[in-house]
Amino acid sequence: MDFNDETVFDKEQCIDILKKATEEVLGKQIYTQNLTGQWISNICEKCTKKLVALNKPFKYVVTCVIMQRNGAGLHTACSCFWDSANDGSCSYRLEDKSMYCIVTCFALAI
Amino acid sequence: KVERTDDKSYTIQPHFRKKFRPMQVEGIIQEALQEKLGKEKYNVDKAQKWTRELTEGIKTKLKDLNWDRYKYIVQVVIGEQRGEGIKMGTRSFWDSDTDNLAKATFSSDSMFAVAVVFGVYLY
Repeated sequence: MDFNDETVFDKEQCIDILKKATEEVLGKQIYTQNLTGQWISNICEKCTKKLVALNKPFKYVVTCVIMQRNGAGLHTACSCFWDSANDGSCSYRLEDKSMYCIVTCFALAI
Repeated sequence: KVERTDDKSYTIQPHFRKKFRPMQVEGIIQEALQEKLGKEKYNVDKAQKWTRELTEGIKTKLKDLNWDRYKYIVQVVIGEQRGEGIKMGTRSFWDSDTDNLAKATFSSDSMFAVAVVFGVYLY
């Protein structure tokens, strides 16, 4: 298989996509329990669509966590068993007055 | 019985018995969460250590399953239980025949934890 520039994961581009999608959906919203499900669906779907539109030979997994800001602590960690030459991940964190939103994207080369 | 694969044959799909099985993996991660966090109370420094150790531990157990050509992503989220609202969601673009995910949650008085495992097949 020929690996060239196109099959390497572009972190910068990906972070940009995550950032735009999150800001588009959450913008200046206040945390509302009933709407979180919808927001997460929208963010994840927007990200996935834009990533797929890049037309690169990758499979994508996008996860999103939205948490109400009330002083509690939150920790996340990921461990991956993959081909580190071609696969990659990136995450974007949005901090708001009322909530935290963490979006992570994993790209796995085919 | 040993399977011999020729250099000239290409496997496009995982063998039926070696496909990613969400129920089996769910059991593994539920057990790992219970073991590690069952008796503990939330602590800022320890929680960071726990998330890392949990992801590494779960990943090692997955490798022991010996499923060929599978890539794994393990994500663990631990949070303090203060009554705040939290929601987690995921969307993927993959081959639903070969790829899947398994998830488990753990909850106690002082904290909650969510572990997700994604298994993606390499053609």
